[in-house]
Amino acid sequence: MNDIQQFLPLLIPLILLEFGLLAYTLWHILTHTHYRRGNRTLWIVVVMIGMQFIGPVLYFLLGKEEG
Amino acid sequence: MSTWMAFLKKEWIELVRSGKFFILILISSLFGIMNPAIAKLTPWLMNTMSESLQESGIVVADMTVDAMTSWAQFYKNMPMALIIVGLMLGSIFTLEYQKGTLILALTKGLSRRKVYGAKTLICVGLWTLCFWLSYGITWLYNSYYWDNGTASSLIPSAALFWLFGVWIFLLMIFFSTVFSEVSGVLAGTGIVLLASYIGGIFPKVQPYLPTKLLESQALLTQSMELSDFSWAMAVTILLAVAAGITGMVLFDKKKI
Repeated sequence: MNDIQQFLPLLIPLILLEFGLLAYTLWHILTHTHYRRGNRTLWIVVVMIGMQFIGPVLYFLLGKEEG
Repeated sequence: MSTWMAFLKKEWIELVRSGKFFILILISSLFGIMNPAIAKLTPWLMNTMSESLQESGIVVADMTVDAMTSWAQFYKNMPMALIIVGLMLGSIFTLEYQKGTLILALTKGLSRRKVYGAKTLICVGLWTLCFWLSYGITWLYNSYYWDNGTASSLIPSAALFWLFGVWIFLLMIFFSTVFSEVSGVLAGTGIVLLASYIGGIFPKVQPYLPTKLLESQALLTQSMELSDFSWAMAVTILLAVAAGITGMVLFDKKKI
């Protein structure tokens, strides 16, 4: 792994996107007080554990209250 | 036309405000980057693991990774992307039935066909956007790291998968006019898909089934030709159009 530089074009956007997704979902969870299922703690845990994309998808499918 | 545009705009705003659009774009980009990333990281992972693998008798030879490895990942990941987009949009009709939000617009004179058309366009359009976004990102990385020239007929093989997705969305919309619950919509679509899979066991009917389109990856290695898919393509288009038209007729008569 001496030439980490050749991985950077992949890793930087990947990390940015994943943290963007995480931040957006966390922001959404924290600015809402009611969820369709579960509570705030549960959703924060789920989103942190499945942070790659499964957690946010689950939250938006099952947890987010329909406006 | 202007009422149709207005309803389309309403659908669009709903998509954005509910966060669905944003999250789907993010996930499609993630999928797009993941394909070349996995391909690029595999040799390095194998190298770091080679010692422990050697102890259990597995010898890792030099691995060569090229654009084909990344495209193979693409075709492995895209069904997952299809499922995610499908789940996100599965409730596009049923939510309105439950909340009764369509009643007002329809009694005010908005034609049902316009509602149906706008929602269909949103579903198919979003699938198209997500799919080709992933495709584009993977393509860019592949041409940066390797050479896309090693894979032949890239666009046709991707287009076949996209067509399969369009069929799935039209099926979902069709089932949205039959059932009023999102579980019914997903179950109906799942059953049709399962039937197509099971039908694929029989070699005689397999070339005519929509699920045949999922093998379009074979075009890249030239182990199959585009003409091998012509029947599956024709059947899928026919089924998609049939689902779209019967759905429209059923929606005209649906109790909302």
